[in-house]
Amino acid sequence: MTVFLLLFCGGLVGYPIVYLVLESLNTGDADTFPPESLGLDNYVNLIDDGRILTNTAFVACIATVMAVVLGFLIAWTLTRTRLPGRARLERLMQLPYYLTPLVGALAWAILAAPKSGFLNQLWHLVGGSGDLFNIYSAWGIAWVMALFEGTVAFVMIGAAMKSMDPSLEESSRVLGAGKWRTMLRITLPLVTPGVLGAAVFVFAEMLGSFAAALVLGVPGRFFVITTAIWEATLSFPPDYGRASAMGFALFAVMFASLTGYRWIVRRGNYATITGKAFRPRPLEMGAIAWLLFALCCFYVLVAVALPLAALTLTSFQRFATVFLSETELTLANYETAFGFGAVNSALGNSLLLGVGVATVGVLILAVLVWIIYRSRVPGSGLIEYVVMFPQAVPRMVFGLGLLWAWINIPIPIYGTLWLLALAYFTVLMPLGVRTLAGVVLQIDRSLEECARVCGASWAYQLRTVTLPLLRPGIIAAWLLLFIASVRELGVSIFLVGPNAKVIAPAIVSAWISSSTELSAALALIQSAAVFIALIVLLRAARRYSGELP
Amino acid sequence: MSALDLADEGAAGRIEVRDLVVRYGDAAAVDGVSFTVGRGEHVTLLGPSGCGKTTTLRAIAGLETPSAGSIQINGQTMYSAAERRNVPTEKRAVSMVFQSYAVWPHMSVFDNVAYGLRVRKLPRADVAAQAERALDLVQMRQYAERSASLLSGGQQQRVALARAIAFSPSVLLFDEPLSNLDAKLRAEMRVELRELQRRLGVTSVYVTHDQEEALAISDRVIVMHVGGIEQIGTPEDIYHRPKTRFVADFVGSANLIAGRIAGSADGNGHIRFESAGGLMLEACAAHRPRGNEDTVAVRTAHIGISINGAAPEQANTQGNSAAGRIRQRLFHGDFIQYVVDWPPGQLIVRRPPTDLFAEGAAVTLSFAAEHCVLLEG
Repeated sequence: MTVFLLLFCGGLVGYPIVYLVLESLNTGDADTFPPESLGLDNYVNLIDDGRILTNTAFVACIATVMAVVLGFLIAWTLTRTRLPGRARLERLMQLPYYLTPLVGALAWAILAAPKSGFLNQLWHLVGGSGDLFNIYSAWGIAWVMALFEGTVAFVMIGAAMKSMDPSLEESSRVLGAGKWRTMLRITLPLVTPGVLGAAVFVFAEMLGSFAAALVLGVPGRFFVITTAIWEATLSFPPDYGRASAMGFALFAVMFASLTGYRWIVRRGNYATITGKAFRPRPLEMGAIAWLLFALCCFYVLVAVALPLAALTLTSFQRFATVFLSETELTLANYETAFGFGAVNSALGNSLLLGVGVATVGVLILAVLVWIIYRSRVPGSGLIEYVVMFPQAVPRMVFGLGLLWAWINIPIPIYGTLWLLALAYFTVLMPLGVRTLAGVVLQIDRSLEECARVCGASWAYQLRTVTLPLLRPGIIAAWLLLFIASVRELGVSIFLVGPNAKVIAPAIVSAWISSSTELSAALALIQSAAVFIALIVLLRAARRYSGELP
Repeated sequence: MSALDLADEGAAGRIEVRDLVVRYGDAAAVDGVSFTVGRGEHVTLLGPSGCGKTTTLRAIAGLETPSAGSIQINGQTMYSAAERRNVPTEKRAVSMVFQSYAVWPHMSVFDNVAYGLRVRKLPRADVAAQAERALDLVQMRQYAERSASLLSGGQQQRVALARAIAFSPSVLLFDEPLSNLDAKLRAEMRVELRELQRRLGVTSVYVTHDQEEALAISDRVIVMHVGGIEQIGTPEDIYHRPKTRFVADFVGSANLIAGRIAGSADGNGHIRFESAGGLMLEACAAHRPRGNEDTVAVRTAHIGISINGAAPEQANTQGNSAAGRIRQRLFHGDFIQYVVDWPPGQLIVRRPPTDLFAEGAAVTLSFAAEHCVLLEG
């Protein structure tokens, strides 16, 4: 059993990686496999391409700093002040993540492109000269990445703050230290490991980030490593060797960062993080609290309200412009989206894949989770490691490996939805396993044992006790897998074929063929599918009074 | 032994555990445990955490797989290493109350209690009747339709109990069922459990680390320590005549006095014990003394204190008495604890709150030979 599972999961995860490594060492003809000669040339060439590496590091650093500062301030505001509507704000904070960086980048391209961007047009209208913003820059890319992918920082830092025992601060106050002294000497040092961990984690994410750099960097020939990989596979003839070398290098750096992250988290635990949730004591911060509140509102404005408004307006226009007097409202973009063959099939395919991957995935993963966390099968730790491995691989690097692996295999699923489904399942395994494991671990073993003692057979127990208890987790996992499938870009972009289109790459190609209005409509449709699933998820979570994963 | 002998109710107990060994990896959690529980008897496995008591109970339920020994319930072999036989939990016809209650949160109280009945495919009317009877027994009838996730700890405890007795099992197992309740509720439930167990006449094995609980509700107590049995006996036996240093120390509170055997006293079967301070004590032994025993135990509650010169309250001539001086007095409410200096060292004495002596007072200590017990080891 263990051996079979290890082979199955290990094959899914390891096979593309092996291909990636082999191809990155290929110094002969890039399009033959197995390679005719091996060497490190591809890696040496990388170093010559210094610009791409410095671009990547620069963007990732700025984006990380922005995301962590923003995340820290917002987490502080939401856990430590007495502001109105904190619960609602906290839920709004998670929306940008579900909006996806791709949609965010599109929206900000509409908002802040030089000259034509809505914000710049408004600036001209009030008499400003030149451009207020230029989103097609390193700073612009970092800004969008921080807004739409940096939510992780907020969630992680918030969790660190919530798990801090308030009595640690209270004893400082009792011993005579003032409010600010306590904050500087007790609170900040205690949350430092959490913040540091979040920073390293976010940095790793930013290194592998693709969508924002694609939408905002490529038009101005500004390449980071992920877009350079994509570019290399598009050139003629495609330079898979170079792409693989970059991909593997990126994977190595990201893997090192995540290892560093785990090290920090394990080491910096002190006694504050007990796994117990505390209710942190709100601080009286006077006027500063309102300043922080304004910051939160600003975040919601720039990461949710403005992007959605801009996309909505644009999607109904024949030509994108902010001036309603000059605007021509039309439903043509939606007609194209739902009517035009290729686009409409992308939409249908995405929903089909979402439902299919979520349904089959949840079934397989539920069994897998059961074996990993409940059975006493030897080697379950190893299975867990293999299953969780894809989260350490940048999505698009994984996509590249898969592309190369499946081109070279005689099973004819390349260019079909089957390959996409297999790829989605592989990269989404960690998400599904984490969600289901959260529920499985909450179910006390004695709940099942008691059924057996009462005389129930294993099957009867499964039907009457285990599955009903797992239901909230299964629903949550299904919805999260559906959402993740529908918004998937990094893997899909390498694996779509003429007869197997999905929505995220379709948005990209609409954007590249300069149809801003159509891509806006598509982006909104994708977001609508995601949000509907999200609302169902929240409802279900509330009904089962379980926690949001 | 033939199957016929085993079926004979007089000869075999309801539960027979023989030479049971349960291993986790290399460590033996239970190492060669044997005992018998008679029909309708309430036996408690008592010991500190990690002594193997819960593992033993779970092995009886079939939730742990032993590696050696045998378990018989109602004369049927449920587990036997020699016969390579291991009957699955659901076929053992036992019932169990879990420490965590294990009340299913996705069902109503009634559905929880009716579970075992429905598993047995009883007619609908019987299910309702028996479940309601069980709920009546624990006074939870009015909560039948409530969702089990909305109950307090004490209520969950009652539901778990009702569920365990609803299908009239012949053997009932309890895994520290009261340990999650607060002290007052625990004392109440203790009384109710004892009452219920007597009324149903069901054979039960009860696991606890609370010695008071064990003494209060059991017919017999089995004291366990690091995977083995230290002593089996009635609560009075265990309390008055502890066999080992561990039992004397773990159950109740006792003074352990070191020394050596100095011969036998005249005629009455008592022995003479010379304590480390040179004081000669008259002690009794539940076993046949080997001669190399080196400790006697005296319960703190068995020692009398009187002011020098006053007539000793226990005028027993064949008892022990010695001079002492009160070093410290701690008022506990239900009793007063004195620390008394006496020839062998220090002695802890518990007296009712009416027996007041000043710190520093010179006193006479006295205790009967029956209460000065020679320990086997």
